[in-house]
Amino acid sequence: MSLYFGIPILLLGAVLQSIWLEDVRILGGRPDLVMLLVITWAIIRGLDEGVLWGFVGGLFCDLLSGGPFGVWSVALTLVAFLVGQPWVHSLGPTSIRLAMMAGLGTLAAHHLLLGMLILLGYPVDWGWSLQTIIGPAALLNFLLSPLSFMALVWFHQRGQRRGGLSL
Amino acid sequence: MTRRSRSWLPYLLILLAFAFLVLSEAGLLGPFNNALAYIVAPVERGLSGLFQNIGELFKTVRDVRELQETVDYLQEENTALRIENIRLREQYVAENEQLRALLNFSEENPTYSLVGANIVERGCEIYPCGEVLGQGLNPYLRYVIINAGSRDGVAVGMPVIAGGATLVGRVAQVSRQQAYVQLVNDPTSEVAVMLQGSRISGMLISRPDGTLLMTQILPDETVEVGEIVITAGLGGLLPKGLILGQVESITYQEAALFQEAVIRPAIDFRRLEVLLVITDFPRQPMQIRLEEP
Repeated sequence: MSLYFGIPILLLGAVLQSIWLEDVRILGGRPDLVMLLVITWAIIRGLDEGVLWGFVGGLFCDLLSGGPFGVWSVALTLVAFLVGQPWVHSLGPTSIRLAMMAGLGTLAAHHLLLGMLILLGYPVDWGWSLQTIIGPAALLNFLLSPLSFMALVWFHQRGQRRGGLSL
Repeated sequence: MTRRSRSWLPYLLILLAFAFLVLSEAGLLGPFNNALAYIVAPVERGLSGLFQNIGELFKTVRDVRELQETVDYLQEENTALRIENIRLREQYVAENEQLRALLNFSEENPTYSLVGANIVERGCEIYPCGEVLGQGLNPYLRYVIINAGSRDGVAVGMPVIAGGATLVGRVAQVSRQQAYVQLVNDPTSEVAVMLQGSRISGMLISRPDGTLLMTQILPDETVEVGEIVITAGLGGLLPKGLILGQVESITYQEAALFQEAVIRPAIDFRRLEVLLVITDFPRQPMQIRLEEP
């Protein structure tokens, strides 16, 4: 069960995002650690485990966010669902696929978040959000995807060796 | 690398995620949130402390630290003196002006029967002190999480201040161990405010990018750049006189019904560390007396 180590990793990612990465500014923005982990796992392990990580990671993000509970869960679960689709595996080698999906998945997740906030009656400024949050986050997740791949593929290989970590 | 999909699981989880969103909007997720907070809060608290310690390690150069401490001390003293100055002005100068105006009114209207009344004593019972554990993860909303919760007497709606009398926000959600504070610069925050000198009233809102705006200023009012914005205390939701910022610029369009002022916040919302929650404060009594015929 990938959640044996998935829960601690995602919890750690969400907490680090909340207490540390919120103050970090790289290229005018900050990466989305939990989103990157979820997308990476969906690329490595496929649809089921990706969506499971998206759901759990989303819960942790919701818990560490103010405002409506569930927007992160919906966004990350749906993005993992898209990224984990079988046709994505025909898009080239894993590293290229992951980098592409890290960028595009981040864009999609943030648009879903904004869409849900609009539906729930929150004011949203698309231009400002694209420029200062979504764009930098997508670029940084794209650039950081090799690191998350190296980290998570290690867990993936350990899980395969032991034979007890798959869903 | 991929595994055969169990077709029902992703759809079930997507449905569950949507269910959480709907239940949350219906206000039915409180116990679930509390249960999850029991898992997350200790981890967050531990890591928050760890990161603070690591941060301290970077300041080990002795001279730099001493210099930093001196600067911090002087800044704190400066802030305290400024706040004290503003409060004194609020308490005495504005009150003096109001009393003079009332006196003028009574002199100009000798036929009126007037009854003098004092404003109920100002003062706040400030109790739980919350350390900021982390920023809310949703980049489009502005919340902080503090380590004071319902066990400390914190409840939804309570005002939260920093640095003496600077309003930071209001408690939006509470679990037993922690509370989510909706900052003043959250896009859905609204605070009834007034300008300290001119007593012009309005509403303080925030743009999605976090810029503070004072709106609903009547077009014939004259707003001066640099005026201090304080809470108006209307409705008894917030104490009167908490500081929010200073007027930075004023915009008025001919066709608009109201003027708007851009407000420079009194504090940097990204550098909040320790906050105070006001659990109770004297509210001005509002009584409507119907005179008997």
